[in-house]
Amino acid sequence: MKNRLKVLRAERNWSQADLAERLEVSRQSVNAVETGKYDPSLPLAFKLARLFETTIEAIFSDES
Amino acid sequence: MNCMNNPAVRRYLWRFLVTMLLYVAFLVLAVVIFVHYHPTGPLAWLLAFLPALSIIAQIAAFGMYLAEEKDEFMRNLQIQALLWGIGATLSVTVTWGFLENFVHLRHMDLIWIYPIYCVLSGLALGIQQMRYK
Repeated sequence: MKNRLKVLRAERNWSQADLAERLEVSRQSVNAVETGKYDPSLPLAFKLARLFETTIEAIFSDES
Repeated sequence: MNCMNNPAVRRYLWRFLVTMLLYVAFLVLAVVIFVHYHPTGPLAWLLAFLPALSIIAQIAAFGMYLAEEKDEFMRNLQIQALLWGIGATLSVTVTWGFLENFVHLRHMDLIWIYPIYCVLSGLALGIQQMRYK
């Protein structure tokens, strides 16, 4: 699954560690989601959407 | 979140330490009593069971960690490592069993199954961690 996490982070000048702290997960988890190696659950996707004040669809797309 | 800042990891390490200390204490106690007093009957059964009980507690501690881990990706990594560890341990032990029966390979005591599982699942976790680094 593709995502815009890197862009959204860059817009806020957040590192992966900053985002991980806000999500209360490890930096490794953020990296795995951002690089598309791990697809987050719905609760984590909603948490990301709330944090970036947008919708899940605006962050993730199911294009391979 | 650093792994040591993770409350679920901290609680697991604490429980792991306690079960390991209990294991060492029970094992030493059982060995000393068996060597010096040669117990029989229920006492022998109880002494033999105590070290196993601490290993069972250690397995339960890992189960509690999985239930308490809030980071779903880390939980997923641990579960994958657990499954690889179980699969690899079953493969090694069943192969060893057939070799023991048919080509008289040295007998392996069942108590080695848990340490083998720990090593193999630890290796699997290391490989998983490198994959997602």
